Amino acid sequence: MARVEYDDVSKRFPTQDRAAVDHLDLDVADGEFLVLLGPSGCGKTTALRMLAGLEHPDHGDILIDGGSVVRLEPKDRDVALVFQSYALYPHMSVRDNIQYPLRIRKLSPAEQSRKVERVAELLGIRHLLPRRPAQLSGGEQQRVALARAIVREPRVFLMDEPLSNLDAKLRTHTRTELKALQKQLGVTTIFVTHDQAEAMTMGDRIAVLDAGRLQQLGSPDTVYQRPANLFVAQFIGSPPMNIVDARRDGGALVLAGDWRVDAPRGVAAKDGVKVGLRPEAIQLELTPAPGAQPADVLVSEPLGSEVIVNVMLGDVLLKVRTGPEVRPDPGTRVFLRARPEGVRVFDASSGAALN
Amino acid sequence: MTTRAESRAARSTAAPRGASWVETIAAHLVFGVVVLFFLVPFLWLFTSAFDADAVAYIRVPAKPTLDNFVRIFTEHDFGRALVNSVFVAGSTMVLDVVAVSLAGYSLSRLDLRFKSWIMYAVLLLQTMPLSATMVPIYGLARALGLRNSYVGLILIHAAIELPFLIWLMKNFFDNVPRYLEEAAWLDGRSKLRALVEVVLPVARNGIGVVAGLSFLAAWAEVLMMIILIDSQDLKTVPLAFYETLRTQGGYTEVQYGLVAAMGVLYAVPVMAIFLATRRMMVRGLVASSRGL
Repeated sequence: MARVEYDDVSKRFPTQDRAAVDHLDLDVADGEFLVLLGPSGCGKTTALRMLAGLEHPDHGDILIDGGSVVRLEPKDRDVALVFQSYALYPHMSVRDNIQYPLRIRKLSPAEQSRKVERVAELLGIRHLLPRRPAQLSGGEQQRVALARAIVREPRVFLMDEPLSNLDAKLRTHTRTELKALQKQLGVTTIFVTHDQAEAMTMGDRIAVLDAGRLQQLGSPDTVYQRPANLFVAQFIGSPPMNIVDARRDGGALVLAGDWRVDAPRGVAAKDGVKVGLRPEAIQLELTPAPGAQPADVLVSEPLGSEVIVNVMLGDVLLKVRTGPEVRPDPGTRVFLRARPEGVRVFDASSGAALN
Repeated sequence: MTTRAESRAARSTAAPRGASWVETIAAHLVFGVVVLFFLVPFLWLFTSAFDADAVAYIRVPAKPTLDNFVRIFTEHDFGRALVNSVFVAGSTMVLDVVAVSLAGYSLSRLDLRFKSWIMYAVLLLQTMPLSATMVPIYGLARALGLRNSYVGLILIHAAIELPFLIWLMKNFFDNVPRYLEEAAWLDGRSKLRALVEVVLPVARNGIGVVAGLSFLAAWAEVLMMIILIDSQDLKTVPLAFYETLRTQGGYTEVQYGLVAAMGVLYAVPVMAIFLATRRMMVRGLVASSRGL
C-alpha cells in the first residue's frame, strides 16, 4: 500500500542522443492501477526500472510514501517486479522460486510454506509447485512470476509487459484475472505496456508516453475521448482517430472535399488546425440527407460485431465504424455526418488539443 | 526428446547423402589413422606399466604384474607426489574459480571506465609465453619467499591460468540474462548474494569448465614446478616423473616399467575428470564460443 511520485525525473543513456525519460512528473495514488502506455522506446520501461532501482535517474526524485528511494538499493525498496520474460530462476523448483523472497526475509519455515501454499492456491498453480520453470508453459510461468511478486506483499507491484509473451486468447483471459486480482489485493500497481487494449481495459488511469515525455495522464475514457494531442489521438483507438486538415470559415471548419463541420464551442478562431474524428464519431447514411457530406466507399471491413467502412473524402481516407448490418460495396456513394460531441480540434503545428 | 526429423538430420550429417562408398571408406581410413596416432602411446603406457621388463616398444607383457606400481610407491615415494599434486591442483582450482567468478562477473556486468583496455590487457597477458616470464617469476618467488612452498605453487599456477579463464567466464556471464539477477535483487538479495545464489548456479557449466581447465593445467604443468621446487617433501607428480627418468636413466638403462606406471596414475585422474564432466565441458565450451 503506497503512493508513488515521480518528481521531474530525467534519464539519458550515454549511447543515445535524446533522453529516455524527459522531466517526468507523475503521481500514483495508493491502491491505484496505473498503466504506462507508449510505443517502444518511449521510456516507459526505463521509468519503471528507475522506480525499481535498476536504473538511476540523472535528475529528479522518486518517492514512495513520501520517502525518496533513489539512493536505495533495489533490495531495500520493497517493490516487486514481474518481468516481461518472467525471470524465473531456472535452477529452482516453482516452490523455491516463490519461496525465495520469503527465505531472504527469514520468515519461519512454517510461515513460508503457509504463504506459498496460499498464493499458489490463489493463482491455481498448486499442482506446479514441484516442477522446474522449464517444464511450464508460458502462461504457467507467468503465473509463477506473479505468485513470486504477490507472496512478498510488497508496497508496489511493477509489471513490465507481463502479458506480451502469451497467446492472444490467454492474454485476454489473464488481463481480466490480473485486474480482478489487483482490486482484491489493493496494492498500488504500475503496469507497462505498448498494447492500448490492455491499457484501456486494465488501468484506473493511463499515462501515455512518447519520446520520454508524458503526453497525457487520465482515465481510459478521458484519454480516448479527449486526447491531449495528436500523438495520443492516433496512438489510442483501433482503428485510430481520423485526422483531417481543416480551415476555419466563420463558425464552421472546412475539411477535405469541402465537408463543413460545426466548430465546437470554445475553440479559438484560427487557421492551421486539424480535426480529429473517432471512427464512431462519424455517422454513415446510405441515403442523401440535408447537411450530410457525400463520399465514396473504398472498401468495407466486417469485423463480426461491427464494420469499418473506408471512405474517400476528396483525397483523404476516413474510417467509419458502423453496425454489422451496414456493408456498402466499394464505389457506393454514402453520406457522412459528424457527431458534434465527437469533433476534436488540434493545433496543426504544436499538435495540442484546442477543445 | 529427439524428433524423427532431428534423427534424420543427425544420420545425414554422419553419412551425407550422395557420398559414394569410396568417400565413406576414405573418411574412415583417415579417422582411423588419426585415432591410432593418438592411441598408440597410451597402448604402450598401459602395456608397459604391467610389464616387469618393459621396453621402448609395444609388446604384450609376458607375465602381467603390479610390481612397477608397488615399486614407485615403496622406492620412489610416489604417494607423497600424488598427494602434493592433488593438493596443489585442487587449491589452484578453488582459487581460480573464486577469482574468475568475481573478475568475469565484473567485466561482464559493471560499467567500468576502462573496460575494453582491461580486457585487452588481460588478453595480452595470455599471449605471453611462460618461458618469457619464467625468469621474472622465479625472481619474484625467491624475493617473496614463495619458492619451495605450497602457497607459491598455488598462487603462481592460479595466476598463469587467470587471463584465459577470465575471458572464458566473462562470456559465460554474458550469456546469463541480466533480469535473473535483477529479480534476485528485487527479491531482497545483495549483489554478491545474488551472484552466488542465482548467477553462478545458472552459469554452472562455465564454472565446471573453469574448474576442470584450471585443475588440469596445474596438474600437468612442469616448467614452474621444476624451477620453484627443490624440496623432496614438496615434489609433485611431474617432478617425480622427471626424477625417475633422470636418475634411473642417466647412466643405466631407463626403467620403462616405472615410468609407465607413473604415467598411468598421472593420466587416469585426468581422464576420469574429463569423462565425468565431458558433457558439461563440451556444452560449456560451445556456449562460450558462441558468446565470443
